[in-house]
Amino acid sequence: RMRRDLGLALLLLLSAAVESNSMSPPGKPVLLGCRSPEKETFTCWWEPGSDGGLPTAHRLYYERERLEGTYECPDYQSAGRNSCFFDKEHTSIWVDYYLTVMASNALGNATSEPFKMDVMEIVKPDALGNVTLLVEEREGSPHLHVRWEPPSNTDTKSGWVTVKYELRVRQDGGNKWTEYTSGTQTHFSLYSISPGVVYTVQVRCRLDHGSWSEWSNSTCVKIPHYNQNERPFWLMVSILSAIPLITAACILVTKRKFVKQYVLPPVPGPKIRDVDAQLLKSGGSEDVDNALMINQSFPPIVAWKDQMEEYLIVTENDDGLPSNSQKRQKSFIIPVGFNLDLENIYCEETTTCQNAWEKKCNEMDRFEVDDTIKPFTSGGYVDIQRRVDNMQGADVKPVDYSRVKEVNGDNILIYEKENVPLESCGYIDVQIRGNIPEDYSRVKKVDSDNVVTLQSRHASVDTSSREKGNHYTGRALQKTRKTNMCTELIESGYVDAIHPSSNTG
Amino acid sequence: MAHCGGTNGSKLFTMVLYMAAACGAIPISDLLDRASQRSDKLHSLSTTLTQDLDSHFPPIGRVIMPRPSMCHTSSLQTPNDKEQALQVSESDLLSLVRSLLQAWEDPLVVLSTSANTLPHPAQSIISNKIQELQEHSKSLGDGLVVLSGKMAPGAQTISSLPYFGGNDIGQDRISKLINFNFLLSCFRRDSHKIDSFLKILRCRAAKMLPEMC
Repeated sequence: RMRRDLGLALLLLLSAAVESNSMSPPGKPVLLGCRSPEKETFTCWWEPGSDGGLPTAHRLYYERERLEGTYECPDYQSAGRNSCFFDKEHTSIWVDYYLTVMASNALGNATSEPFKMDVMEIVKPDALGNVTLLVEEREGSPHLHVRWEPPSNTDTKSGWVTVKYELRVRQDGGNKWTEYTSGTQTHFSLYSISPGVVYTVQVRCRLDHGSWSEWSNSTCVKIPHYNQNERPFWLMVSILSAIPLITAACILVTKRKFVKQYVLPPVPGPKIRDVDAQLLKSGGSEDVDNALMINQSFPPIVAWKDQMEEYLIVTENDDGLPSNSQKRQKSFIIPVGFNLDLENIYCEETTTCQNAWEKKCNEMDRFEVDDTIKPFTSGGYVDIQRRVDNMQGADVKPVDYSRVKEVNGDNILIYEKENVPLESCGYIDVQIRGNIPEDYSRVKKVDSDNVVTLQSRHASVDTSSREKGNHYTGRALQKTRKTNMCTELIESGYVDAIHPSSNTG
Repeated sequence: MAHCGGTNGSKLFTMVLYMAAACGAIPISDLLDRASQRSDKLHSLSTTLTQDLDSHFPPIGRVIMPRPSMCHTSSLQTPNDKEQALQVSESDLLSLVRSLLQAWEDPLVVLSTSANTLPHPAQSIISNKIQELQEHSKSLGDGLVVLSGKMAPGAQTISSLPYFGGNDIGQDRISKLINFNFLLSCFRRDSHKIDSFLKILRCRAAKMLPEMC
């Protein structure tokens, strides 16, 4: 027993010795920070260092701008352990505080680093409580109204602080928050919410441009279903109204043909005599062409290609007349019409030209005639080029077209007069479109303005004249100058008939 | 800054009439509301500027930073807590605001020119914000002239707070940054004062509209 007591005493002594060796002055405390919840008071906290094994006291000292001296914390209690609370009398804003905490024990002191702060920088309000949610229904869709109270210790009546709010909403199960800003209002409405879903709402606030408070505690609500009672009703209504529609559709389908006849009656089509409608439907264009042509007894088209390029060359002056003998041996086809182009003829005196022309025309009479002239059809076009040439190089009028109204036999052409200008004396160039391209028919006679009598006359031109180019000239002889119309065609002039089918291919 | 509001969709004649009537009687609360929005923006800008600057501020600068009592506006007597502030009359409050604002006219120019050559990574952002500061400051000052015309004559008094710092904010990088930071912190404090005073005034003027407070 003595041995045990001795051992115990030894142990105690040893431990005491050990402990007494680690006793030391306190470690340096650290000032953690300060906070003002309403811009009127503030609290600061520190973290003590090691206490060195001895009871250690901590003291906070501060100096203030515009205030002489060093002061100690007015209140160590109100804000809990290791804190200092500055009440309204001790709080000033827009001045700097220099804080230090001193830890002291029996063996020594330790002072923290100085901490500089201004109240305006440390404003952070308390978290909000008492957030209420209300579900309202308007026009069939639910809304969520969120309401809350301003932080209880802030003075919102004098304008000393301006509180701004923010809230965030989350649907149940999800972890994504949607944030909204509420400004200075203490309520907020959410409109895009779905029934049957649980919503969680949190609110926070801040003063002026200070720090945001902590989020409030979550408040949840489940949106009820409002439309339960109405849905079956609308379902019945839609089913009942669908039945007649379906029956109507069935009827329409079964009686398709009848309906089609009624709604879309067949359109009567044109009937072409002697033309087989079936052939038109099924045949190719060649067949159609043949059918049409044969039935209407159109004359076949003769290719006159070689000869069409050859023209009667009429020289410009009196001297250049081809000799009769030349003419006689050549066989040429005078194209049915030619452009009575006045500009190519320079006549100083009309009379000489007239005479020369008459000579030419008479010569042409002797030439061989190809009887395969094809007649005009009524409905072809006579191309009338009227050139108002007052012998001084005036402007050329544009081409007018006069429609062939009727063809009597081969010779008489009556055309509807269009665009007849009442100009001073000019010459008319007449281009008559007939069946055969480049055929020229000699104008035999002109009766008034509406009848042109053609001579069916052809002659072929030989190759030598081709070298001189394709120019051809003619001139309408002006037989009488007595009328002002000057739209008379001159007898023994030539008219150009252009085959219409050459244009249509 | 102040403009006359017209109603949308009204006929031209009635609108002109309304404007003529309204122009003669813009409520002070409306003017104060706009002024405090400007000052709010001003303070917000200065706060973010300080954060931008602090992002790369040399730690040594904190230690040898001049004391704020050396701000060129510190000689102006302003209220230092809520009770004092609520006891100041409206026109005196406005006079304080105008004096503070005018005191920063020249130093903002100095800040602006220094920002162009500031040896800091966020130099262009800072320079941009300083220019915004100048614009808002100018427009606020103009609006306050109008406001003071509607208040007691005391509002016209402007204390002169000249800036003696000159155009130069330092030779080497450290002193440039320190001086820039110091000037900015003085401005931040003064802009907060301006903002708070205007909001007090706004709340007082809008007695029937609690949402103004």
